[in-house]
Amino acid sequence: MDRRKFLRAGGIALTAPAFGCALQVPSTDESAGSGHTSSGQRWGMVVDVPKCREGCTTCMDACRAENNLPEPEDRRLDVHYIRKVRITRKHTAGELETPLPLLCNHCDNPPCVQVCPVKASFKREDGIVMCDAHRCIGCRYCLIACPYNARFFSYTEGVESPQNPDFPQRAHGVSQGCTFCSHLVDQGKLPACVTACEGIGARALIFGDLNDSDSEISRIMATNRAQGLREDLGTEPKVYYLGL
Amino acid sequence: METRFETIDGRSTQFRLLLGVLVLLIIAGLWSTWVMYWEGLHVTGMNNRVPWGLQIIMAVFYVGLSAGSLVISSLYAIFGKKEYKPFARISVTLAILFLVAALLSIILDWGRPDRIFVPFQYFNPFSMFTINPFLYITYILICVVYLWAMFAERAKLIPVIATVAVVWAIGVHSGTGAIFGFVPRELYQSALSPPSFISAALSSGTAMMILVILALFRFTKRPLDEELLVRLGKLLGVFIFIVMYFIAVENTYRVYLPQSHHAGMYFLFGGIHSVVFWGGMIFVGMIIPVIILFNKRTGSSIPWIAFSSVLVVFGVLCERYLIVVPGQLAAPAIFPEWEITYSVIEEGAVTYTIGFLEIVQAVGILAIISFAFVLGLRFLKLLPTEARSLEA
Repeated sequence: MDRRKFLRAGGIALTAPAFGCALQVPSTDESAGSGHTSSGQRWGMVVDVPKCREGCTTCMDACRAENNLPEPEDRRLDVHYIRKVRITRKHTAGELETPLPLLCNHCDNPPCVQVCPVKASFKREDGIVMCDAHRCIGCRYCLIACPYNARFFSYTEGVESPQNPDFPQRAHGVSQGCTFCSHLVDQGKLPACVTACEGIGARALIFGDLNDSDSEISRIMATNRAQGLREDLGTEPKVYYLGL
Repeated sequence: METRFETIDGRSTQFRLLLGVLVLLIIAGLWSTWVMYWEGLHVTGMNNRVPWGLQIIMAVFYVGLSAGSLVISSLYAIFGKKEYKPFARISVTLAILFLVAALLSIILDWGRPDRIFVPFQYFNPFSMFTINPFLYITYILICVVYLWAMFAERAKLIPVIATVAVVWAIGVHSGTGAIFGFVPRELYQSALSPPSFISAALSSGTAMMILVILALFRFTKRPLDEELLVRLGKLLGVFIFIVMYFIAVENTYRVYLPQSHHAGMYFLFGGIHSVVFWGGMIFVGMIIPVIILFNKRTGSSIPWIAFSSVLVVFGVLCERYLIVVPGQLAAPAIFPEWEITYSVIEEGAVTYTIGFLEIVQAVGILAIISFAFVLGLRFLKLLPTEARSLEA
């Protein structure tokens, strides 16, 4: 190969990606991350741990139905936007178990957003952290970065017949996690898990605007010592646990 | 002494057979990628707790190998050691190809490799997964110019571009280390991971170059002065000591501090990965090669140097596994004071077995760059007629 051919080949290699960009039709609205939210809100959740019922899976069931998540089959691959766990003090192991739900903490400094190479993981102005399934390339860096194991990957296809026709089907090969049911919150409704928990009279989940001093969640936060998980990491989680 | 370069003949049966085998392996790799894409990545050994598997291990392994190749070329290009000129073109070619393999490993591992152009449209400049591909691609381009400068025998340009390439390589390797080091996970988070990554890169790369040089010269029946490989073997020994030092500091620090003591002990003594650590990386990959390379008799014997190079490459492969996997296996401390006794997903320490399809895909990617390298030898003047040390 002579020098001229070498240079020409190099030039083609250099410019090819640029043409690729031009040909690619934008798959998502650039403003999707900040759209349709009124300013000044900061959504958060309080989990009133003593009110969470042992053996109850109402929040998980409601979440799965609302977000068209597949039925659990394999613990290693299942997607749970919210999951019930039981925990016990390390030194009194087994004596007293506390049930509580774990979900995306909608951090103010979300590591999943920091590491996402294509800004598919984003934080809305109202603080909801979510992943754009149309943009995600499936690199799974967010699963690695999340200290709460709250991100999941679509290893398999979504459910065959969606339970909720208003909510889009799952795409395969992308990352996902709890969105605080942003599609409901934007209509002025509560997340499905919160509604369901209220429905059985447990009221262990309280959702609301942390910036509104009159909201129930703000009043709870002002008078109680509620704590986020692993606040030492600097992620500033916005799901607080009361009575833990 | 003027080094002359030539293409290989490529008319022998072995040459055609080699190309044929490589093509079959490439097809197998493409097949497994196809299955993984259409069936979903659950057909691999990966899962929600261990979302990074063999391809990420291989990607960081390839990035490391690329460094060593560049070091060999810089002995000639920057430090003016003319006796290493015969290896210069091969080493820069391999530096490029290993980086291509790293990029292929990362992209084919995506859940959506069909969205290959998305990163060109939208990018987050603060993600290590944006910074690194940028560094890799620019590094490949720098190396292409470097290779061209060598083909054109531009004596003034070569040391300049070689220096740029080495500086850029430091960025490439630090960035790759930072993919893991700059993440809030107990066994990942470490400011030492970038320099430690560079040191392991140098040792594996040098070992790989020793093996490639030996194989190329022996199979094409070219005269090779053994003294050159003996010196590279000594260099390799020094690199191994540097890696050992970093690993010692990193693990002592982790086990010493109360906040990471538990995770550190899990890493060193907590499962199969600890066997990989002590047996694979430390004993087979470091202690045995160091003894061989610094022993007077074995250290100057080509078969022994080749053997220890194989061990070093294996040891660094273990080290790459240890960078990627145990950090995911360890239980994340969501409740440091509490223990999760029940959950619908796996919450505690987990296991990961490399899937068959992942292995086929990895072999396929290796076959792609091997195929490119063999074609390179056939059509570009990469191989010297001989390699002699100047005193000889």
